[in-house]
Amino acid sequence: MAQILFYLFAAFTIASAAGVVANKNAVNAAMCLLLSLVGVAGLFVQLDAYLLAFLLLLVYAGAVVALFLFIVMLLDTKSRASASFKKLPMFASLVAFGLLLAGLGTFVTRGQLESRPLHAVPALGANLKLYAYQLFTTYLLPVQVIGFLLLIAMLGVIVLSKKYDGPEDA
Amino acid sequence: MSPDYTGLFQALRPETSLLFGALVALGLDLSLFRRHTSGERLNLALWIGALAVLAAGAHVWFGPHGPIFGGVLILDPLAVATRLGVLALTLLTLGVATAARTPRNPAEYVAIILFATTGFMLMAAAQQLLLAFLALELASLSLYVLAGFDKTRPESAEAALKYFLFGGMAAAFLLFGFSLIYGLTGSIELLEIARQLTLQGLSPLLVVALVMVLVAFGFKAAAAPFHLWAPDVYEGAPTPSAAFIASASKLAGFTLFARLLWPGLRAAAGNVSTLHGAPGWLPAVAVISAVSLLLGNFAALAQTNVRRLLAYSAIAHAGALLLGVIAAGRSGPAPFFFYAATYGLATVGAFGVLAVVERTGSCQKITDLAGLHRRSPLLAGCLAIFMLSLAGIPPLAGFFGKFTVFAAALQLGGLAGPAGWLAFLAIALSALALYYYLIVLKQALVAPPTANASRIVVPTLARFTLMAAAGLIVLFGVAPSLLLDLF
Repeated sequence: MAQILFYLFAAFTIASAAGVVANKNAVNAAMCLLLSLVGVAGLFVQLDAYLLAFLLLLVYAGAVVALFLFIVMLLDTKSRASASFKKLPMFASLVAFGLLLAGLGTFVTRGQLESRPLHAVPALGANLKLYAYQLFTTYLLPVQVIGFLLLIAMLGVIVLSKKYDGPEDA
Repeated sequence: MSPDYTGLFQALRPETSLLFGALVALGLDLSLFRRHTSGERLNLALWIGALAVLAAGAHVWFGPHGPIFGGVLILDPLAVATRLGVLALTLLTLGVATAARTPRNPAEYVAIILFATTGFMLMAAAQQLLLAFLALELASLSLYVLAGFDKTRPESAEAALKYFLFGGMAAAFLLFGFSLIYGLTGSIELLEIARQLTLQGLSPLLVVALVMVLVAFGFKAAAAPFHLWAPDVYEGAPTPSAAFIASASKLAGFTLFARLLWPGLRAAAGNVSTLHGAPGWLPAVAVISAVSLLLGNFAALAQTNVRRLLAYSAIAHAGALLLGVIAAGRSGPAPFFFYAATYGLATVGAFGVLAVVERTGSCQKITDLAGLHRRSPLLAGCLAIFMLSLAGIPPLAGFFGKFTVFAAALQLGGLAGPAGWLAFLAIALSALALYYYLIVLKQALVAPPTANASRIVVPTLARFTLMAAAGLIVLFGVAPSLLLDLF
């Protein structure tokens, strides 16, 4: 049963990811991205990482994709015809794809991924209480750093996107 | 185990004072100084920034040492030396900013420089993958904004966008590499990772992780073939930003990655003392180093733009610094730290000279420097010291930096192995590098000034900054033990 569910979610994720690339309409592509994230969340649930699945849905599917849609609709990209691929980039990307596929192939067949049993990592973030406790004790410093990261992002956006036309700004 | 918050706070006092300085600069600018001219606002912000940097320096000097907060941070000699070096370079950058054109948001400019410095400080000491990544991003994000700060020139926007796109890609690679390392070892603490990897040895998955990490490292170091952003950023970014990106960011980045590679991934290092040594990340770093040395030096020969020339010479210097990282396993971090610190001083100084020259008009082409000895003997003299130090002429600090790094590399099996060949290549290319540095100096010291060129008045603070940088270069060249004794 778990096997079937795994393949089901995996196929769903890959199919919707392909949809993101193939869709010409940006809104539809963003919707496919959302579906792909739902598939990944399903995979996480199978790994008993309920919190991670929940956060993925909440943050990515909820907030990030919504922002994508917001920007896509603001920019209204539909009016512009999408440029088709030129020959050279197409060739280069095909070569890169082939190399990646060959690398992945050798990795799977000769990588001896099964030989070394990885020891189980204690899942400290499995439930919300433990997760929060970790955030505010062990990972206190990273949380603070992220706070300042967001401040810089905000400052940067304001400085770089503000329009100057009045003489008082010069 | 109850975490030691007091110890953490005491260790982070330098960062706290920097952040406090940034917030005070922003707050004062927004509240009391809104109506003042942008020159006054810049001066106020710069003084607050300089005070914060000095306070941070005092905290670093008198602060605690050793592992902090269960080993998340390590304040060993390398960390302390890098922190002091980064602070000194930041102070010089602030000095360069006094001479450059006043940016439109002066307080924000200084605040973002201070935020970036905070990131560098954490990078210097981070011993945990999560913190290392976040510190790197804190610094990088600030640098992207700094590169695009000049909104009057489209080149600045181009530089920021290029830097941002390449940097975002590199961050993704780094994060992917880190996640694989975490998957392999079950830990994000460097010491535990090192312990696990000695048990496991080199596995295919680790190779993938190493490649990912090295790509990000190459980007941060502006090493070929990940250097594409560097010439455009050096050319387009506002001058103080370019000086900052070329100096402090290099020093902190090299410290971070040397710490990650040597104590963290030592088990997967491999061997470059002989041609058929064990595989690992050392051979890969050696290849990146060789490519950077060749491409940087030869491409610099063809440049007509001073800043692009400095960028390609930075790529060549990154190659030599990578050689220092390779040798750090045997000789310790002192050689590459000395190289990176003195290189940073010379680069900040060179950009400082450009910033002052820019006050009288554009200074992009090498020929814009023509007749500098007539227009301002002080600038020409300082530029000569910086360029000759970059070229590695004794008795300047650049010579001793090259000497220690190459000597350390030659100790790895002499001329019989790739490390020795690489050192030999670097020495040969240093002679080539002298040529393009002399082209710049020929314009500045020999060529007559153009007809409409006027004398350049050097502002007091800028004069002080340039003389401090030049003085430090001479001092460390004559007495290198002042820096090396920090280890």
